[in-house]
Amino acid sequence: MKQRVLWPAAVAAMLALAGCGSATGDEPSSNAASGKLVVWDWKSSDKTATAYVEKAKADFAKKHPGVTVEFVAQPFDQYYTLLGAAIQAGKGPDVMMFNGGGQIRDRVDALVPLDQYVTPDRDRLTGWAAFTRDSKVFAAPVTLQGHPIYFNKNLYKKAGLDPQRPATTWSGFTADCAAITKATKATCFALGNKEGAGIQFFLSAFGSGALSPQEYDDWIAGRRDWNSPHVRQIFQLWKDVEDRGLNSKGGNSTTMFTDAFGIFQAGKATNIIGLMSDIGHWKDFNEFLGPENVGVMKSPVITDGATPSLPFDGGIGYGVAKWTKDPALAADLVRSLTSTEALTAFYTNAGAVVSDTTVKAAEPAVTSLVADLKTGKPALHVALSSKTIELMGRLSQQILDGSVTVDAALKQLGESDRG
Amino acid sequence: MPLGDFTPLSARSALAGRADGAATTARGRRRTGALSGERLSPFVLIAPAVLVIVLFRLWPLLLGVNFSFTGDGERNGAAVGLDNYAELFADPLFLGALRNVAWLVLLLPVAVAIPGMLATFIYLRVPGHRLYRSVYFFPAVLSPVIVGSIFNLLLSFDGPANKLLEALGLGPVDWLGDSDVAMFTVVGVHVWATFGMSLVVFLSGFATLDPALLDAARSDGARLSQVIWHVIIPGLSRTIQFVFVTTMIGMLTSMFGLIYVMTSGGPGGSTYLPEYYIWIQQGQMNRPAFASAASTVLFLVMLVVGLAQVSFLRRTGRED
Repeated sequence: MKQRVLWPAAVAAMLALAGCGSATGDEPSSNAASGKLVVWDWKSSDKTATAYVEKAKADFAKKHPGVTVEFVAQPFDQYYTLLGAAIQAGKGPDVMMFNGGGQIRDRVDALVPLDQYVTPDRDRLTGWAAFTRDSKVFAAPVTLQGHPIYFNKNLYKKAGLDPQRPATTWSGFTADCAAITKATKATCFALGNKEGAGIQFFLSAFGSGALSPQEYDDWIAGRRDWNSPHVRQIFQLWKDVEDRGLNSKGGNSTTMFTDAFGIFQAGKATNIIGLMSDIGHWKDFNEFLGPENVGVMKSPVITDGATPSLPFDGGIGYGVAKWTKDPALAADLVRSLTSTEALTAFYTNAGAVVSDTTVKAAEPAVTSLVADLKTGKPALHVALSSKTIELMGRLSQQILDGSVTVDAALKQLGESDRG
Repeated sequence: MPLGDFTPLSARSALAGRADGAATTARGRRRTGALSGERLSPFVLIAPAVLVIVLFRLWPLLLGVNFSFTGDGERNGAAVGLDNYAELFADPLFLGALRNVAWLVLLLPVAVAIPGMLATFIYLRVPGHRLYRSVYFFPAVLSPVIVGSIFNLLLSFDGPANKLLEALGLGPVDWLGDSDVAMFTVVGVHVWATFGMSLVVFLSGFATLDPALLDAARSDGARLSQVIWHVIIPGLSRTIQFVFVTTMIGMLTSMFGLIYVMTSGGPGGSTYLPEYYIWIQQGQMNRPAFASAASTVLFLVMLVVGLAQVSFLRRTGRED
């Protein structure tokens, strides 16, 4: 008898609670000034990003004291899968982190154009192009990502070469490599192409040494000629470097992240095409080799008439979701996330080369990188769609193991790029 | 009497029957009485289970199939007919993934024979059989990610496996970086990681084997190979079939983790399986509708394989 009374009571209580829950849940949406913004990224849980997130939150709290900001750090290898599900459902975070290039360009349908909100930041920050599609900006850059060629100065010294003056032509570069290999047994390059990322780095690092400036700009603007002899030359070099034994062994089964970086850090390879921010960058290499032994060079000249430059783009940035209730509020949070104070903290703690040109660099390797930013150009592979990038990764592995010829690969890439 | 609530339903069916004429009506009325109560109770009792299956299994499945006929990106939500399927079967990567499934089916006998042979030796009490029994089972408790990482280290180009080959005077093999070798490497590791479970099934099968038959064979002077061929294999036919089916299912459904960790589908897409392809299309390429089409094809493949296995089992069951 007692139970019969208790059950309806329990059900009624649950219904009442559920009612409460939904009522409180609706409240913030009706009052944007005291609402809550959810941010998705894969950085905020890193210890090195703690100060950055704190500074950004503080900056935003000054402007909008009533709004709470929640950072949800997703695992990076699942990030775009989770984001895809959120986009499909039409609801999810208000602000989200993106890699520049294909990853954001494929998803602009889910984003708010930010041009009207970020006008004051346009000159202070650099790297916008990677977050732009059809001349609309969809995210504000936080870090810069690029593909400098790092070299081990210590190995140069051991082979009797001058590390202050690395070779500026391809033949000089390979001659130096041969001398170093003879003296130290270190291979010319540390290669990791298990993820298919090795070719992206190779294409972008040596692109400016092979393409004419006009061809380079056309490529970035979307007029890509895959039949050009200079483009073919880059892919032929990719094969030749492997065939001539300049790469560390087993490139197809070595991960770029982080086995290939490990080979370079152990002094078993002279050069590596690394990154500017996040991982595999000057700060990581400094720790293992010592700051005095980490050198940075631009591509050697491969064909006459090429002017080598540092390939770089906006690395990661924050965009605003279409479904957010108040885009202006979310855009304000994006501006806080790219404030000078926050970015300075990010540079200091994580060693990222940040998008803010007013942040002063201190370390020697970064100084030379930052100096090259002025003449730098967007990286060649960033201009490609993620479909073509994925195909290029697979074909690059097949070129290395000899199951596809360079010409057949270029034909497929051309078709994928046009389609 | 909660079942009383269902009387209106049967009354409705009787009403519908009336349209067919007087004879049907009379039959319908007679059925009304019989339908109420006990005859309805089984349907009521299975209703929750059926509802759960329909709601959480069949309905999403139909939604997925329906979704596969729509477009992605700019054509998001628009009906595109069979476009996704046409693209799928023109994609050499997907065809390669299906070809790899065929490889798995072909390699199945090897995957069954290994635990079968080892179980036989343990059953025949080779020296140290107690140790082997636990050692063989050990990998079965490791997650695919751990197994993949272990073998990544062992099989890396400058890893211990190649050092050993070098010591034997054989050239190094790029186990995971050569597109002709990688698929077999991954399948080999999968078999290593999972054969312990099949081994246990085989051992329990041996428990049902009549020892008198073995003794009789021995006293008739049968060699070991003859004992295995004429006594053990026929005696274990049901167990062997069961292991075939479970190993097949394991190969088709649980290799994602290994592939993800060991090769990421590479080199050159040579270790793609349909599951991995679906994941890439949905997660990396942002093409959920296209991924749905691939899922539908995988579902059909699994359906055919599953039905073939069920009929195979039923046929052999009848022989017994």
